[in-house]
Amino acid sequence: MEKIKVQVCLGTTCFVMGGSNLQELNDIIPRKYGDKVEVVGSNCLGLCSIQWEYSKAPYVKVDDEVVHEATVEKVLEMIDKKLGK
Amino acid sequence: MFIDIDCSQKKKYNQNAYGDYYLSGRFPNMNRVVAVLSDGLGSGIKANILACMTSTMLLKFMESNSDIEKSCEIIMNSLPVCKVRGISYSTFSAIDCYENGKAKIVEEGNPDFIWIRDGEVLKPECQLIPSKTFKNRKMKVYNINLKLGDRIIFCSDGATQVAMGSKQYPLGLERSGLIKIILNKLSQEPEISSMDLSSYLVRQIELIAPNKELKDDTSILSLYCRKPRESLIFTGPPYHQNKDGYYANAFKEFKGKKAISGGTTANIISRELNIPVTTNISFNTGKLPGISKMEGVDLVTEGILTLTKTLEYLESGKPEKDAAETLMKFMLDSDCITFLVGAQMNKAHYDPNLPIEIEIRKNVIKQIANVLEEKYMKKVTVQFI
Repeated sequence: MEKIKVQVCLGTTCFVMGGSNLQELNDIIPRKYGDKVEVVGSNCLGLCSIQWEYSKAPYVKVDDEVVHEATVEKVLEMIDKKLGK
Repeated sequence: MFIDIDCSQKKKYNQNAYGDYYLSGRFPNMNRVVAVLSDGLGSGIKANILACMTSTMLLKFMESNSDIEKSCEIIMNSLPVCKVRGISYSTFSAIDCYENGKAKIVEEGNPDFIWIRDGEVLKPECQLIPSKTFKNRKMKVYNINLKLGDRIIFCSDGATQVAMGSKQYPLGLERSGLIKIILNKLSQEPEISSMDLSSYLVRQIELIAPNKELKDDTSILSLYCRKPRESLIFTGPPYHQNKDGYYANAFKEFKGKKAISGGTTANIISRELNIPVTTNISFNTGKLPGISKMEGVDLVTEGILTLTKTLEYLESGKPEKDAAETLMKFMLDSDCITFLVGAQMNKAHYDPNLPIEIEIRKNVIKQIANVLEEKYMKKVTVQFI
């Protein structure tokens, strides 16, 4: 099975809108999912500049799906959904 | 040739103020550097005032190419008279040099400067000019030609007289002892920067002092003639999107060290040059996003938050461990810094709902350029694109 890839945006907007709190994912995900899920940072997913009028930063991508106003819980929920839990 | 200049100082033990004072000015248009190190009579606040007045006046006189002899008389006549000693006095060393190597050095009272070329100490000829109004005061004036690789070290007598009266150093470290330490360090690190050399020397002097307590203010002013270290910092997307490729290539072709400050900017360069950029999520170092990696680029950081923090660190000189500290070090390790500043704005940064105020990039860069020039004597070019 292919690994699920979680990309956490560390661009300016996301970082100040709460992305800095998402660093916990780096500890939680390997603990909870082992090597089924991979967490990486992104220097900018480029989403805030497209969707700024409805700014919903911070953004996290779980494979191709975007999590708006991401929190640790929302990201874990999305991973669970992907894993069919 | 670039003249790398820096000064390191330590106060006399138990004093609150520095009794030595250092000032310098760089004039990039004239390829000229002027610097003064003064040692005020006594120590503490009194010495600080004397040394500060001397340095400030002398630097101004030198900048305006005034007659040095006359300038020194004016300074000596202007200084307040010490109640205890009944004299007004401060010693100084001053250098006015150009990047073509031409240099003029004037000294009064401070230990003779040390001129090092290829591991050897040179002994230049000097002209002695006695003061007309003050007996026993003589200025030494040197006109010398500096070459690539040369170093000039000035110090206050706190450096040469350290540990005086001790068994090991009955007459203090002396100029000869200081030279030994310098030559030894240069043989280990021939390309050490002025900043590192001066702070190393002051640290060594402190270690020599009995109980590591300095009996006098101690300063080392170091000059190093070297090839300029050039660097380029690309920040912000270019205003015209169709120029992305052009600027990305210009960035690639640049010969010195390279940094990118900005997520979108890094993405543009990554796209145009087809080099992937990777970001480490372990960003729990400080309150800033961490550092990304891109092959062929020395440093990749987030943009405006990191730049704003870098400005703060440059001003305070007290960095914390984060990406801004790395960017600050990148800047300080360069002599000539070019900023390519993209004028494209990300509207999301100006959303009033953002929990912190984000500065306009242009303004932050202008302020960084200013502090790099004024405080750190760097040559800075800013190009808005």
